[in-house]
Amino acid sequence: MTARSESAAPNRIDLPHLLAGLAWLAGLWFAMLRLPLLNVAANRLVPGHPVVGADALGWTGAAIAAASLAGLVLTMIRDGRRFALVAAAGFTVALLILAEGLGSGAARNLAGAAPAARASLGAGSWLALALLGGGLGFAVRRSRVRWLGLAVGLGLGLGLAALAHAGRLDALSLAVEYAARHEAVQAAIREHLVLAGSALAIAIAGAVPLSLWRRGQGLVAMLVGGIQVVPAVALLGALVALTAGLLRAVPALRETGLSALGAAPAVAGIAAYLLLPLWRGIGLAMRSPDAAAIEAAEAVGLTRRQILLGIRLPLGAPILVGALRVAAVQGLGLATLGALVGAGGLGRIVFDGMAQFAPDLILLGAVPVVALSLGAEIGLSRLEAAARRRWHP
Amino acid sequence: MASMTRFPRLNPARHPAPGFAAMGLVLAAISHPAVATAIVSGLGEPVRRPLAVARLLDLGLRHILLAGTGLGLVAILGIGLGILVTRPAGVPWRPVVDALAAGAQAVPPVVVVALALPVLGFGGPPTLLALVAYGIMPVLRGTVGGIEGVAPDVREAGRAIGLTRTQILTRIELPLAAPAIVETLRTALVLAVATAAVGALAGAATLGSPIVAGLQNQNTVPMLQGAAATAALAFLADALLLALTGRWRASTRP
Repeated sequence: MTARSESAAPNRIDLPHLLAGLAWLAGLWFAMLRLPLLNVAANRLVPGHPVVGADALGWTGAAIAAASLAGLVLTMIRDGRRFALVAAAGFTVALLILAEGLGSGAARNLAGAAPAARASLGAGSWLALALLGGGLGFAVRRSRVRWLGLAVGLGLGLGLAALAHAGRLDALSLAVEYAARHEAVQAAIREHLVLAGSALAIAIAGAVPLSLWRRGQGLVAMLVGGIQVVPAVALLGALVALTAGLLRAVPALRETGLSALGAAPAVAGIAAYLLLPLWRGIGLAMRSPDAAAIEAAEAVGLTRRQILLGIRLPLGAPILVGALRVAAVQGLGLATLGALVGAGGLGRIVFDGMAQFAPDLILLGAVPVVALSLGAEIGLSRLEAAARRRWHP
Repeated sequence: MASMTRFPRLNPARHPAPGFAAMGLVLAAISHPAVATAIVSGLGEPVRRPLAVARLLDLGLRHILLAGTGLGLVAILGIGLGILVTRPAGVPWRPVVDALAAGAQAVPPVVVVALALPVLGFGGPPTLLALVAYGIMPVLRGTVGGIEGVAPDVREAGRAIGLTRTQILTRIELPLAAPAIVETLRTALVLAVATAAVGALAGAATLGSPIVAGLQNQNTVPMLQGAAATAALAFLADALLLALTGRWRASTRP
């Protein structure tokens, strides 16, 4: 909010903004010319040798530098909407050129090598991608055009998909790894969503009665707050140990499909952590209309049901969506640990990669986790903002 | 009828420290090999190789060292950066910090550990990186929120009586922001204990190690011992911090 009002004011470059811009440029320069952009190795497990600067990017390096410099200058000198739009376009183009340059650079560096040889993205590539992405985000924010973020995201996605479809990225080791395991990755994404989704559903079903039990709120606060203190690895371990014991004590339970290792302890464990944000959100939402509004509604004879549906829920809707956002992001992250107790999901790919010490395999699991979490965060915060606009104009 | 529709406010006077301490002690007792063995065999599970007390204490000490180092780094970096971005020269960095804060929440600690593994190798370093990466943002946000929550009039009054910028920071802003900062340090503490346990996946020797090993070879007793000990550590550390800050708050309040 501060940033927004700050960015609205200056049409001149002040010293702090100039310094920030220069630091950004220095970072990009360092990433593209000094840090390894690619690592070329004989196979997917051994560490490779770094490829720096023009050896990796060729002429595209200059194009990226030009596009990003233009974008930076445009976002800095003027605060107009048009300038920010052009700058956002410049950053988007720079990102796509970088992706293409890295893809063809990888192909060039692998030419003539054995089929097992891999070219993976180096530290410089990640830093350059992050800096360009940050610049793009800054330009999108400055433009204050509501749909621009979505449009830029779609444009980037389509551009990358087109590059991948044309085979321009095929030489990158991440693409090679994905090509070899795309079915496993897609199955893992589905499992991950089912794990997080069912945990969220169970947590909602649990949080509602906990919020309605008025006398026990002190106890509930201790309970759901206490669960947060328990480390997730410990809770999952304890749940597996207890489920194993329970199955041993009551063998009939086995016939219901319950097993000590698998989805059941993972879903129960994840759901337990999601109780706190949901319970707190429901409580805050129900208390959000002031007492006078409720009394006025009672005075005109509205029933409790009407007050709930007509006043409490609409007024609390943004808070409820906010709680759902926090819980969904947490659930998607925690579901990664589900693989620890044999529940599958993207965590399995991450843990396989850790066991083999294969960075690309780790990335193959980690990138979708981060993408899903960010997607949930961005999507639900947009819904939250929409609910706020709708009911709190 | 009217009272039926009221939702109760939470009672802030209820202090969880004694409850958490008791919980921690119970869990610590469960992690003792004799108790854990009794529980597991009581459930009819076969009992194999429980963890000796000495080994448990050794792992606990390593866990505390790792989590403590991480928490120290998180406190220095988080509060330091929080002070920097609330200075006039730090203004352009605010959107960067906000974006990083949102981004960091989207990367779960286990993923940070996994991603750092190829770069930093097995053991403590990737865990420490995950600890710092995940813990720094809540502390930074809490510090920024606390400092920005200081009423402009108070700051203005400080300027009027001739305080320098540094004095305004140390005598007005930081003391007034302290409760918010301490609250986020509590969050960071709990995160640190949890992330140190996750570090066992990267080969760091912590109380998470017997859990991970127990899950891999289906050995229930060390699994239960590790889980109870990790949870005990988290509860006891949180209770200690709560008790310390409660005492400190009581002594600073006029």
